[in-house]
Amino acid sequence: MGPKRIITVLALAAAFVGGAPYAGTSDAAAQLKVVTSTTDLYDIAKEVGGNKIAATHIGEGYQDPHFIEAKPSFVLQLRKADVWAFVGLDLEIGWMPLLLQGARNPKLQPGQPGYIDVSKVVPVLDMARGNVDRSQGDVHPLGNPHYWLDPENGRRIAKLFRETFSKLDPANAATYATNERAFVQRLDAAEKSWQSDLAKIKGKPVVAYHTSWRYFAKYTGMNIVGFMEPKPGVPPSAPHLAGLIQTIKQTGAKVIVMEPFYDRKMADLVASKTGAKVVILPPSVGGAKGLDDYIQLIGSDITKLASAL
Amino acid sequence: MSSLLAPPGRNHGFRWMPWVVLLVLVTTPLSAQRPDSTRRDSTVRRTAADSARIADSIAVLRDLERLQGEPRAQQGQQPGQGPTNARLLPDISAVGDLIADLSPKGSTQEGGERFSVREVEVALQAAVDPYFRGDVFLGVSDLEGIGIEQAYLTATSLPWGLEVRLGRFLMPVGKQNTTHRHDLHTIDYPYTLQRMFGPEGLKGTGIYAARVFAPFGFYQELILTAVDRFGEAPEETAPTIEPVNKKLGGLGYSARLRNYWDLNEASNVELSLSGVTGKQEQPLLVDGDVASFSTPARQSVVGADFTYRWRPLQQGLYKSFIVQAEFLRQINERDPRLLLPPETSPAGYTYAGPDRDFSGAYAFARYQLTRRGYLGARFDSFQDEAARGRTSTAASGYLEYFPSEFSKLMAGYERYSPAEGSATNRFLLQATFALGPHKPHPF
Repeated sequence: MGPKRIITVLALAAAFVGGAPYAGTSDAAAQLKVVTSTTDLYDIAKEVGGNKIAATHIGEGYQDPHFIEAKPSFVLQLRKADVWAFVGLDLEIGWMPLLLQGARNPKLQPGQPGYIDVSKVVPVLDMARGNVDRSQGDVHPLGNPHYWLDPENGRRIAKLFRETFSKLDPANAATYATNERAFVQRLDAAEKSWQSDLAKIKGKPVVAYHTSWRYFAKYTGMNIVGFMEPKPGVPPSAPHLAGLIQTIKQTGAKVIVMEPFYDRKMADLVASKTGAKVVILPPSVGGAKGLDDYIQLIGSDITKLASAL
Repeated sequence: MSSLLAPPGRNHGFRWMPWVVLLVLVTTPLSAQRPDSTRRDSTVRRTAADSARIADSIAVLRDLERLQGEPRAQQGQQPGQGPTNARLLPDISAVGDLIADLSPKGSTQEGGERFSVREVEVALQAAVDPYFRGDVFLGVSDLEGIGIEQAYLTATSLPWGLEVRLGRFLMPVGKQNTTHRHDLHTIDYPYTLQRMFGPEGLKGTGIYAARVFAPFGFYQELILTAVDRFGEAPEETAPTIEPVNKKLGGLGYSARLRNYWDLNEASNVELSLSGVTGKQEQPLLVDGDVASFSTPARQSVVGADFTYRWRPLQQGLYKSFIVQAEFLRQINERDPRLLLPPETSPAGYTYAGPDRDFSGAYAFARYQLTRRGYLGARFDSFQDEAARGRTSTAASGYLEYFPSEFSKLMAGYERYSPAEGSATNRFLLQATFALGPHKPHPF
């Protein structure tokens, strides 16, 4: 077969498959199709959207959200989506543009109602106003993106989803409002049950692996006295760890909190030199078995930390 | 690893070279990730001297807060910040590609340099308006000056999920040709691609249309292009009396069908087919001598590529593995109609272009050793036109280290065995760096 024929065959094949229906679209035709970048946004979206939305997520809770691969299968999720909700503040900058470009979905373009940068509704920490460059590590010039770890921001996210879904699907606006209220009430009740643990945490010195616990610290009152990473995103170096060991001894920090996706060898080493305890805190829904919703996640992290202090 | 990096044969004087490279690349940075007890004492001794220059993470945060002009415990910024790009400037970035060629028998670089800035690529990228996006990549090198590597307008609002680009782009033929050379996990393109498309890959200027399909539940994408011509006019061949693309049949056309499957959450496979065809200038002989003009002849390349990737999600920062293989076959028109000047008798003119087809393939694998370190190897085999189609091979190994996402250091050793002549060893070092906005990682 000559090359002309091969190209012709490929073109005809494409024309054929282009006319075929997209698999899996019919069953969820009436629902808003929502894709989120993380499991936390996914869970809150499900809380608010209930059975009126069909939600999926790109990242898993046990995965570093900075380094998700832009797999073509994610493009298929985004092609037919009505809403793309993402954390923002450049958390997804390494992979999101490729996916959105590949999806070619006009509903998910910046400025469209379905393009939801969730960071727009939260108070952002660590936002730089001066000159920032990469000598400072993997800094996020627009601010620290790990804001979902403050439950107050969970409420803001739920409100944003209620507003977005209501705008895109006004027929079900009442349902979304009811669901949001139920979520907030459940969160309010959970917060009351966390008070004794929060009291144990407040003011206590801890070491964190990455800057992802800044919002959690703000909420719980834990005092982060050092980070395993010498600079955000930079793996621990021996000289930095030597200094960190001194810091831990001076401050009396008893806990090193870290995410499940980092190598814990360095943290174990520091712990062995200081008597501190390494506590793996999942930063996202699904980050550990049984952590299937947002409120469970926050509660579990608080309980785990309090019991280690 | 040692068998890949150890230079065989007569090059005993350079036997130490890869080990020095390996030592330099591995010791300091990797020890930072995986210290052991034997290093700890010296590390502690270094601490005092180093402490002044070690940026503590808390200090970084406090610097950020100082820049903010607010105390650490204060509430963060409120919603409704102003735009981050009020002047609507495009993203500007630059990538430097530096090469050191320590090959024992002299430099193997095109310009013969031992140390060179192979290329600096400057990119300007932005949305043009609500309907288009613009991407411009300029290549700057000592050998070629400034050139337009890519410059294309992408329509972002087309119906039916169509993507259309107008301009110059890397031709979607094969797997690695769509990757910028400085982004490769080897120092050069595979030999097969270099021989069939040129050392910097195949580009085209024209129209590019793509559509994603999923009729069978998995990802498929068809990409079609029509470009000004297939490849660049060969420098060593005289021009034709009429442009090869005078007729529409002489333009370059390509098609690529991508098929992608997730095997599970950690591994996936891509199996794709490509084809490109067009007309090229091919030499003529007149009474045994090379004629002062050439004739157009059709040349096509068809191929298939396979990629398997593995990256466990939870340990994805530290572990990954990729295997890639690509086969290409160049199909040459052997008896084209000779295009001669008017009123020229074809008697005495003989077609002197390629009189056979050529095939080539490579296989590449890369394993992630640490968070920042990778070990790769590639084997190339190709029928060499310069050796009347006899097979040349090359085996190479690479140690790749990423201090961050924005810089890369690589050491490579290659044993190149041409179909004719003796085998040669190549020792290459590469450093690349990227300035500017964070660009997505190609998949």
